Amino acid sequence: MSFELLQPDSLPGALKALAQHGDEAKVLAGGTAIVLMLQQKLIAPTVLVSVGRIPDLAYIRSEPDGIHVGPLTTLRDMERSLVIQTHFPLLAQASGEVGNIRVRNQATLGGNLAEADYASDPPTALLALGTQVTATSLRGERTIPLEDFLIGFYTTDLEPDELITDVFIPASAPGSRTTYLKYRSRSSEDRPCACVAAIAAFEAETCTDLRVAVGAASEVPQRLPAVENLARGQALTDELIGEIAAGYADNIDTLEDIRGSAWYRTQMIRIHVVRALEELRNGRR
Amino acid sequence: MAVGKSVPMLDSVARVTGTVPYPSNLKLPDMLVGKIFRSRVPHAHVMKLDVSAAERLPGVVAIVTAADFAGDDKPNLHFGSPIQDQPIVAGDRIRYIGEPLALIAAESAAVADQAMDLIELEYEELSAVFDAEQAMLPGAPILHEASPDNIVRHSKLRRGDIDAGFAAADEIVEEVFSSPMAQQASLETHVATARWKEGKLTVWTGSQSPYTVRRVLGAIFDLDLENVRVIVPPLGGGFGGKGNVRIQPMAAALAWKVGNRPVKLMMTRAEEFVTVTKHAAKIMIKSGVKFDGTFTAREVSIYWNGGAYASSSAHLVPAGMLRAIGPYRIPAVHVDSYGIYTNLPIAAAYRGAMSSQGVFAHESHMDTIAHLLGIDPLELRTKNLLRTDDLFATGERLHDIHFVECLEAAAYGLGWHEPLQSDNGTIKKRGRGLAVMMKNTIANSYSECRIELDAEGRVTLFVSTVEMGQGGHTALAQIAAEALGVPIEVLAVTGPDTAETPPDAQTASSRSTHMMGNAVLDGAASLRQQLAEAAAPILEWSPDDLSVADGYVFVTTQPQARIPYTEVLGRNNIDALTATGKYSTNEGKLDPDTGQGISTPDWHQGAGACEVEVDTQTGKVTVLRYHSASFAGRVVNPTLAGLQNDGNVIFGMGASLLEEVAIDGGQITNPNLSDYMLPSFLDTPVELKNVSLEEEGSSFQGIGEMTLPPVAPAIANAIYDAVGARIRDLPLTAEKVLRGIQGRTDHER
Ligand SMILES: Cc1cc2nc3c(=O)[nH]c(=O)nc-3n(C[C@H](O)[C@H](O)[C@H](O)COP(=O)(O)OP(=O)(O)OC[C@H]3O[C@@H](n4cnc5c(N)ncnc54)[C@H](O)[C@@H]3O)c2cc1C
Repeated sequence: MSFELLQPDSLPGALKALAQHGDEAKVLAGGTAIVLMLQQKLIAPTVLVSVGRIPDLAYIRSEPDGIHVGPLTTLRDMERSLVIQTHFPLLAQASGEVGNIRVRNQATLGGNLAEADYASDPPTALLALGTQVTATSLRGERTIPLEDFLIGFYTTDLEPDELITDVFIPASAPGSRTTYLKYRSRSSEDRPCACVAAIAAFEAETCTDLRVAVGAASEVPQRLPAVENLARGQALTDELIGEIAAGYADNIDTLEDIRGSAWYRTQMIRIHVVRALEELRNGRR
Repeated sequence: MAVGKSVPMLDSVARVTGTVPYPSNLKLPDMLVGKIFRSRVPHAHVMKLDVSAAERLPGVVAIVTAADFAGDDKPNLHFGSPIQDQPIVAGDRIRYIGEPLALIAAESAAVADQAMDLIELEYEELSAVFDAEQAMLPGAPILHEASPDNIVRHSKLRRGDIDAGFAAADEIVEEVFSSPMAQQASLETHVATARWKEGKLTVWTGSQSPYTVRRVLGAIFDLDLENVRVIVPPLGGGFGGKGNVRIQPMAAALAWKVGNRPVKLMMTRAEEFVTVTKHAAKIMIKSGVKFDGTFTAREVSIYWNGGAYASSSAHLVPAGMLRAIGPYRIPAVHVDSYGIYTNLPIAAAYRGAMSSQGVFAHESHMDTIAHLLGIDPLELRTKNLLRTDDLFATGERLHDIHFVECLEAAAYGLGWHEPLQSDNGTIKKRGRGLAVMMKNTIANSYSECRIELDAEGRVTLFVSTVEMGQGGHTALAQIAAEALGVPIEVLAVTGPDTAETPPDAQTASSRSTHMMGNAVLDGAASLRQQLAEAAAPILEWSPDDLSVADGYVFVTTQPQARIPYTEVLGRNNIDALTATGKYSTNEGKLDPDTGQGISTPDWHQGAGACEVEVDTQTGKVTVLRYHSASFAGRVVNPTLAGLQNDGNVIFGMGASLLEEVAIDGGQITNPNLSDYMLPSFLDTPVELKNVSLEEEGSSFQGIGEMTLPPVAPAIANAIYDAVGARIRDLPLTAEKVLRGIQGRTDHER
């Protein structure tokens, strides 16, 4: 392990360093993921650009149309944020389910998204919420919907010279019910084997809008709008819930790892989509 | 009375404040960093190993390869006992991924890492074998030419007429069980620091066997044993993995080549997984039973995957043979236990050594039989459990047997006969299971201590018992304090340091409180005798008329005529009295062809019973309640004993539900504690209780492992009770349970 550690104290300074070193550089935020990758020699950057000294990248800012969360915000701060707990309980829940408290105190949202580990919690919740990621480089700024940001196995749409500088989560329809279910097949501190984030709006018994994201079971978390639409204008009967769950189970190309086989993950998707939708139907907010 | 009290661990303040001097924290002036260049292929002929470029790198002080051992005046390349098949670094042959090929001593870890990249290795790959049974097949790749069948050791037990036994049975039940390779996962990895000075070698290391390390290093470097000193500070965990010689020869070889500076070698977590593992095992077990639950015969075959070198497998395979039979009355028993070479890292003891695999098999099997016969699992066991004076399968007569009490304590603690709380809806089902274990300890073993009482009344106990978090030193101090009639506060325990503390076989197999505890009693008796003799002229009575207790020597018939120990020493101008205490067991020899004879001086006995909840849709198992029991004879420290019992259960839940070293083509793919899953404190049962059974007049028995082996079968049996799925392959993952549940449903349809 031999690399140069840069600790710019401004955003332009960091962007300049990234532009200069390109592929050779890696961003360092909380370090919970990247230090392991360095230790296991999975990556060998010559320059580490720490973003820890850049001011104003850790924030949770409420606006009428949603909230902005800074990339350096820790998962623990998200879990404990009153704003997030009140308006996006799903996200507070997903952040609070990550690893253990020591990890959550150190891990940042930007790092979690940029790492793009499929076995993660926040991305699935954020996908269901319709999140937008802002990436900034010396070349300018662009906003990327999360589904386009997460491309594949540990792969994002970020260019080597780009930093995540903002994460925007639009407000959900008032009165929406949400839930986040994390299924751990192993210990209580493990990463998910599968997870489900669901948001539904109801008028009386009728579901007017449904969003379901399934994560950790395939390379990237996924929403299936065609399946979600089955619920629109319908009551969430057991039968309909079963149909939606089967839609997710049948259409997601699951992967196999130490937490479960592809077959098992397909089962877990079906079961947890059912459980999530039952919870929404039965009135949990 | 110090014995029987829950005194805090002697070093509890250091533990809480983070100042325990673990060997990994050791820093010596001028110390170099050692690093290991390892193989990346599982089996190969080495064609060329060129370290010259690495040697020239500034900051590299020395590099050791097999070439350094060539020549009569050089150290021995190979070690191992009794089979010397393990090279300190591989020479012309690589036998597993991760095998050391070259050792680097450098000024810094960064330089050593750079040097690693400059080493040139050329090899010709050979075909490799990873599965124990495949390694035994004709035509399998051969690891050691001296063992063309890849068998390290085959041990046998033959008792009674097995054919007649099966012929007399009403039912014959045959099952196959398997346990995966696991890792001991001590928080502190293996570490050794070595220094040579004037032809003498000193090694500071995390080891459970200081005297074995000394003997082996002496043999490697052809040194008189006085010239090898092994110092063992408190360990950050051992769990059997540090019970044999592992990295110490490498550290010593590096320091030998360097000459005048110490070298510290410490494993990374990933290296830990190629340093030592737990034997994967496949066990076939077949029993003949009568409808009334009487056993007529049992046949067991065990295949232990020993990895690339014999190491301790040669001793462990016969022990594993005895531990897979089960503590039951069975007239005819045949066992074959095979230790097998494969192209994997070395396997060795793992807490509850060579028991967990076998107990999982025989205790799951007992439940299969109980369900087949329609007999309650507790009843089937108590009907057949061995009692004092019964003969075991070795033909030896048993003494101090308490299997029934252990099992009933666990079962009744759990409420075995009480109705189960009703299932939580239809998705989650509850069930109960239990299991019992029997384990021989190390036979023919020796422990010695020295006790010193100084003129100020302080007592120092010199022992080579290793403190590894279990509280071994505290227990010995309590025993000494009671035997000498002094408060625990005056006691200090020092060691192990082979230059200072007397020999002891090892801190393993739950032997220390029993073996060293008895040595301490012996030493204390001799010290009391010396006190009586020194006090006799002062009190003007014969030593035989004096008693020694509670800090005083007094006339037995006139207790008021007494003098304190300090005065006895002071008035005699004695600085300190010193006594040596010894304890040994000489019993233990089995016939190699029949396994008949005496296997152990004492039997380890434990049991467990639990209640689980199974999510029938995910297969996920939650252990809600667990009650364990072990036979302790006499409890030295109730809190520490309870922690051993409970700690075993939590430790055992890891191996039962989570732990498995994943291997792909000989490469371990989860060598870290994120992918190799240990239990979290959040996974512990809501109700976790234990009992340590005592018996009037009994002495201290080891309790370090007894409640561990029952954990896996107790949980597996509870899963069966809950959902009717019998899982015969550890760990009991959610996916296996779900497959089991669905398999059963398909079958019933
Ligand atoms: C023991 C353990 C358990 C865990 N369990 C879970 C779990 O249950 N669920 C879960 O979701 N996650 C889990 N994680 C993963 C954890 O959430 C991530 O490691 C963490 O969020 C990464 O954030 P970080 O700030 O530490 O990132 P770093 O390690 O600093 O960086 C991670 C990656 O992101 C890049 N990066 C960081 N910030 C930016 C930025 N602003 N712009 C561009 N690129 C950036 C880095 O270059 C690097 O590639 C676990 C991790 C550990 C160690």
